[in-house]
Amino acid sequence: MVIGIQQLLDGLTVGMGYALIAAGLSVIFGVMYVINFAHGELYALGAYFALSVSAPIGGGAGFYVALLVAPLLVGVVGVAIERFTVRPLYDRNPLYHILLTFGLVLLINDLIIIGWGPQPQRLSRPDLISGTFEVAGATFSRYAFFIMLFGGGVTLAVWAALTYTRYGLIVRAGAQDRRMVRNLGIDIDRYYSLVFGVGAALAALAGVVLAGRSGVATGMGSDIIITAFVIVVLGGLGSFKGAVLGGLGLGVLQESIIRPGIPELNWLLVPRIFPQLEGMIIFVLMIIVLLVRPQGLFGSEFEEESGELLVGTDGGVLAPDLRYKLGLGMIGLLAVLPVLSGTLLPSSLVEGLVIRILYWGLFALALDFVMGYTGLVSLGHALFWGLGAYVSATILMNLTESAFVAAFVAVLVGAAVAWVVGYLSIRVHGVYFAMITLAFAELFHNSLTRIDRWAVGFCETTPVCSPEDLQGVQITGGSEGLFGISQYYGIGGVGVRLDEIGVFLGPVTLTGDLLFYYVALGTLVASFFLTRRILNSPFGAVLKGIRENEERVRFLGYDPTVYKRRAFTISGAFATMAGVLFTLNSVGVSPAAADWFKSGEVIVIVILGGLGTLFGPIVGAFAFFGLEHLIQDNLLGPLQALFTVVLEPLGQEGLVPDFSSRWRLALGALFVLFVIYLPRGLISVPEKLAGYLPWEVSFGEPVGEDERGENR
Amino acid sequence: MRRDTHTQESRRTFLKTVSAGGAAGLVGLAGCVGGVDDDGNGNGNGNGNGNGNGNGNGNGNGNGNGGVDFDTVQLGILEPFTGDFSALAEERNNGETLGVQHVNESDAYDFEFETSEYDTQLNPEDGTQAAQQAIDEDGAQFLTGAISSSVALAINEVALENEVIYTPGAAAVSITGDNCNEYVFRFETNTAQIAEVTSQWMVENLGDRIHYQIADYAYGQSVREEVDTRMARLSDSYEEVGTTRSDLNAQAFESVITQIEENAGEMDALVVGATGGHLIRFLVQATERGLKEEVPIVTTTGSFAVVRGGAGPAAHDVYSGTRYVPSIETGDNQSFVEAYQAEYDALPDNFSRVGYESVRMVANGIQAAGSRDPTVVKDTLAGMSHDTIFGEVAFRECDHQASNPVWMGRNVAPEEGEVADVEILTRLDGQEAQPPCEDTGCTL
Repeated sequence: MVIGIQQLLDGLTVGMGYALIAAGLSVIFGVMYVINFAHGELYALGAYFALSVSAPIGGGAGFYVALLVAPLLVGVVGVAIERFTVRPLYDRNPLYHILLTFGLVLLINDLIIIGWGPQPQRLSRPDLISGTFEVAGATFSRYAFFIMLFGGGVTLAVWAALTYTRYGLIVRAGAQDRRMVRNLGIDIDRYYSLVFGVGAALAALAGVVLAGRSGVATGMGSDIIITAFVIVVLGGLGSFKGAVLGGLGLGVLQESIIRPGIPELNWLLVPRIFPQLEGMIIFVLMIIVLLVRPQGLFGSEFEEESGELLVGTDGGVLAPDLRYKLGLGMIGLLAVLPVLSGTLLPSSLVEGLVIRILYWGLFALALDFVMGYTGLVSLGHALFWGLGAYVSATILMNLTESAFVAAFVAVLVGAAVAWVVGYLSIRVHGVYFAMITLAFAELFHNSLTRIDRWAVGFCETTPVCSPEDLQGVQITGGSEGLFGISQYYGIGGVGVRLDEIGVFLGPVTLTGDLLFYYVALGTLVASFFLTRRILNSPFGAVLKGIRENEERVRFLGYDPTVYKRRAFTISGAFATMAGVLFTLNSVGVSPAAADWFKSGEVIVIVILGGLGTLFGPIVGAFAFFGLEHLIQDNLLGPLQALFTVVLEPLGQEGLVPDFSSRWRLALGALFVLFVIYLPRGLISVPEKLAGYLPWEVSFGEPVGEDERGENR
Repeated sequence: MRRDTHTQESRRTFLKTVSAGGAAGLVGLAGCVGGVDDDGNGNGNGNGNGNGNGNGNGNGNGNGNGGVDFDTVQLGILEPFTGDFSALAEERNNGETLGVQHVNESDAYDFEFETSEYDTQLNPEDGTQAAQQAIDEDGAQFLTGAISSSVALAINEVALENEVIYTPGAAAVSITGDNCNEYVFRFETNTAQIAEVTSQWMVENLGDRIHYQIADYAYGQSVREEVDTRMARLSDSYEEVGTTRSDLNAQAFESVITQIEENAGEMDALVVGATGGHLIRFLVQATERGLKEEVPIVTTTGSFAVVRGGAGPAAHDVYSGTRYVPSIETGDNQSFVEAYQAEYDALPDNFSRVGYESVRMVANGIQAAGSRDPTVVKDTLAGMSHDTIFGEVAFRECDHQASNPVWMGRNVAPEEGEVADVEILTRLDGQEAQPPCEDTGCTL
């Protein structure tokens, strides 16, 4: 037999877990096009509600009650989320859901920690479904069977509801063609709350069932969310059947085929290569599926309603001339900051925070170049940041300490990779593009911890090199990363080290980080003017044309794909440069540099500042890190005090939640408010305010209709 | 590749040099670019200018005033208060707070600690920023904290660059090994020390045919490597039956367990290199499948309260190399436990004792040096012997790793409740548990 019974069982058990998690995500996506990153947190919330529900009842009965009640509670939470946060965004591009659900992730996760504490906990199970049983001399886990039977039952029930009820019919129709359903006189929006609630409840159900197997921990949501997305993509975005079969298939593939290996396939070198790629194969599969059959294995092709992409203000109340001067003023102000450092400003503010903002500003600018100007939403820009950070670090550690060489090579590599990724990815649109870039970034992220091992393996098995050659060589430094980087600014051994020189300006001495500040600022300003120049060229005009109406650009004889690919390559090169600056400014790099969370954060920054403007992303970077900094300085103190004042007289001071380290709660809530009320980003604030002023504002000549979009 | 400290000038060294010798030269030289040697001081490579600088001009910037009386010392506390390690961060932070309290209230110290806390968010980028902020904004001369090794390694470098003393909370061998530096002193017991007691005990009690199941990241890999080299040294017939790996955030271990079960007859012990949620998930699923009845499970962190609490009955009968349990009667551990219980109404665990004693040991160093200048204190701390909760412990001169004793323990079912108790099986003294200096990769 090729696959043993136990192996098949392992695969099906794991697969059923996947299926339960992915089913809700897929339904929500299919009907509402919401890329719901908070799905993982709803899954965790289900497990935590189960803890609270089952504890007072205790023992076996508690688990069964929790299995029913916890999903209902989370379903209610889901309905509330849809009503109050998702609904205002329906006519907008799915991009905004990323910011929204990103905020919700931070919010829900901190609420969980406040409510249940950070310790991992246990969900006790009834004896009936614990332990093992024997069949024909082999032992099997009872809980594995429970997961399969219960999960199978639930998915069948949901499938039946979708297939045989009127509700199901409308929901399925909505997933295929929303507009048609509306035209038939059905108010599809009313069904959205229900769908979101059911999706959330399914996540919670998965949370309870899998908590029984793995326990309950605050990180459980973020551990599974990416896998859940992979399954949804494999099965087909929006296809319930696809999510279930995709989940089961992936489980069997991973646990029954890849891991144990199949002796019959030994000649293919499969057993030697596959285990090396564990955890990466799903992303390879995801890329292949997206390229060959973007609608997924079981999805149906649907006309994507991309919704409106709200680019930042079109200039609004500020005339181009004034904005230009304002920009120069900002650069001037940034240029004098280091001089004030240590006297008027705390030095860590300039050396730490502002430098970080500068290179994140560059990163955001790079993303905005593709996202804001060509409408390509990349969820994988961490790939380029990571490339910049690692390629430059590897060069500085192993080859030369010249920062110029490191930066030059890294940007070349970044641009080349961007071209390849762009070449493969740009043939798919919208969310598919977001997902395929995510897959590339995750592939790279996963490889970072293994490259050193592969190098050793390669040298052991081939005559090209011997393992001794690699003594003392660290390419990526495994999961710890590379530390102890130093560099000089020059080439061929001639140059300066920023720590060894100083610029004396009256009483102020600029050296080390304060000099690096100017390196970062110079790079950002140069990149800013370079992108501005590009956008004002004929090439830039085509890019903007693509954003406004791709079809029309095509009719005019331009090939949008070629232009998008070039834009993506330029963006990749700039993002790589941001990663290089990060390495030059830090003491080392670690795999966190390419974490998907970074791709999410940079999208948040761009939207926060204002999409499709050049200033916006930089303003966004200041807002993002500035807010984080302020909120960490105990902005929640008053809330804590309020709880104390109320609960202490009641003798319940033990119930006062600890807000001191839960600053992400406030940050998450702010993101949610931002995306709802300020979708065009901070850059649109003057325009908004001007509308409320009782008198006519004149900040110079407003931009005429025909000039809009120019000079931004 | 290591940073060469002789060619690399740190910013603070540079600033000190400038402010010590070049004050006159600075006036009116707006816009002038100069090198270290241009400022008239001419001491070039600044290693060892710590004491000269301190006594020379007492430049009162709150950092390097060796020899001047002082009442306060600024301590920066850097912990992952947000992220997956927040439970451990809280535990460690409790220990630190108690340690600071102890120092501030005790007559044995002529100074008091002032602290500021920062969130490293389990991310080296935020960790370095936090460290930098503590140093620049609050003038911290001493740093403590961080639990993940990437973050600790990043702060290692920040400490060296800024010449402040850092006591990390991560167990990765390289922190006081390949990536060690003169400003880093670690009270946390490292994986090499734990691997020593675990391997010795396994060879004597279980056998030498080992299967490894590891979380595929720095910690898991280092457990495998450290145990593997020691087993090979201790037993000629040592055999690695196999190694299975799981992703760090793997949720399901079904097929791994099947693989282990298939070879269970050929192995004497299963060594699990993992910690936290990963270990809990593995133990729960392995217990479910009855793996414990087939092969003894040996861990390196199974004695942690977080693991025992999270795994419940699944942690029973699991063996563990043990860094700390509150019940031990060494040094003044019992008074630490009492004070901790009085303050937090809970028993301390490994991370709390590391936080507590790291603070106390640094305080001892400052007191003995009579200076809060990190460049002076670091020379005092190296090799200095302390009375700790483990009895007498020193930061070894060659790598600044504390010579902690280590134990082998077994989790046993408690009399009431489900959370296992740790039964101590054997103890290995600090000196015996430490690898020889030449094997550490650290050259101090």
